[in-house]
Amino acid sequence: MTTKAAETTPNKNILDLFIEGARHGFTIGTTSLLPNVVMAFVIIRILEVTGLLKLIGVVCAPIMALWGLPGEAATVIITSLMSMGGGIGVAVSLYTSAHLDAAQVTMLVPAIYLMGNPVQNIGRCLGISGVNTKHYAAILSICVINALLSIWAMRFVLMFF
Amino acid sequence: MKETNNSTLQVPWTGYLAFFIAILLFSGIFSSSDGWLKVFDFNVLNGSFGKIEGVEKAFTFRGANGSGARDGFLFAFELIPAVVLALGLVNVIDGLGGLKAAQKLMTPILKPLLGVPGVAALANIANMQSTDAAAGMVKELVDTGEITDEERSVIISYQTSASAFLTNYFSSGAAVFSFMLVPIIVPIIVMLIFKIIGANLMRLYLKTVLKKTSPGGIHHDN
Repeated sequence: MTTKAAETTPNKNILDLFIEGARHGFTIGTTSLLPNVVMAFVIIRILEVTGLLKLIGVVCAPIMALWGLPGEAATVIITSLMSMGGGIGVAVSLYTSAHLDAAQVTMLVPAIYLMGNPVQNIGRCLGISGVNTKHYAAILSICVINALLSIWAMRFVLMFF
Repeated sequence: MKETNNSTLQVPWTGYLAFFIAILLFSGIFSSSDGWLKVFDFNVLNGSFGKIEGVEKAFTFRGANGSGARDGFLFAFELIPAVVLALGLVNVIDGLGGLKAAQKLMTPILKPLLGVPGVAALANIANMQSTDAAAGMVKELVDTGEITDEERSVIISYQTSASAFLTNYFSSGAAVFSFMLVPIIVPIIVMLIFKIIGANLMRLYLKTVLKKTSPGGIHHDN
C-alpha cells in the first residue's frame, strides 16, 4: 500500500478510496493481526502455565526497572526483535492479564516499532538498499538504542497526559 | 525516482486539507469535545461494541478472564474494525494527496535534520508506508549517483528503525488505541523523532569511528 493507489487511479472518489483501504485493512486484520495476536496470547499462556513468565519477571526486574517497567515487559522487547505485530500482541496480552497497566503499554508502543523486527529487516531494508555490510551492526544497534531511549521519552511524554 | 524534484511536486489544495484532517483525526484534539466537532476523532468514529444485557450488569461479547488462543482470537476480532477504519481513512488521505502534502512540507525539514540531499525525501516519505519500496528507491539513488554510499547508510539508519511505521502502527498498533493513555498521533511523533536521532547517530558514527579506519570508503559499489 504505497502511494501507487493514488497515482494509478486519479478518478477514484472518496468512497472508493475508503473501501479500497478498508478492504486492505480487513485483509491485514484477518491475515496478519489476528494470527499475530493469537500467537502472542498462546506464547504468554505457555509462559504463564510453565511458570516461566514469573521467572522472566523476577530475572528481568532489575533491568526493566531502569525504565520503570516490570520484568515481564522484557517479553515485549524480545518478541519485537522478531515481529512488531507479535510485540504488540504480547503487550496487549500482558495488559489483559494485568501484568502491565495502560501507562506501561503506552510507554512500550513506539519502542516496538523502533525495534522493528531487525531479524526481517536484514533481508528487507538493509539487503534491498544494498547498504555497506560493514555498517549492518551499527544500523541494527541504532534500532535497539532508539527503542530503549523511546521508552524513557514516552515516560516523559506521559507526564503531560 | 531521481527526477522527482520537490519544487516541481504538485500538491492539490485537497492534499493539504486531507493532511490537516488526518492530523486532527489522529491527534485526539476533539476526542472529549461535546458538540459535532468530535466527528473529527478516530476513536469516536470507531465507536464501541454493544454490551450484552445481564441481570446485574452489561457484559462485552468477549467476556472476562479468558485466556490462550480463544481469548486472543476474540480480542483480535474486536480490533479488526479499528484496522479497517484506520486503513480506509489512510487510503482516502493518500488518495486526496495528503501524503504528497506531507512530503512537500517535510522535505525542507528532513534535509537539514538528516544531512542528506533533498532528492532522498521521496524515499524517506515512502518509508512511512513501505519498507521494501523505500529501500529499493534508496538503492536506485546510489546506482544513479545521486547519493553516496555513506549517505545511503545514514538514510537506511533512518528507514530501518520503525520502518513502514504508518502502515504497521495503524494495523497492529490499533490493538492499543482504545486504552493507550496518549493521543494516537503521539507515538507517531515520538517514532519520527527517534528515526531522525538514529540517522544522526549514524552520521556521528561515520564521522568519528569509521573515518579513522577506512578513509576512502565513500564510493563503495555494491
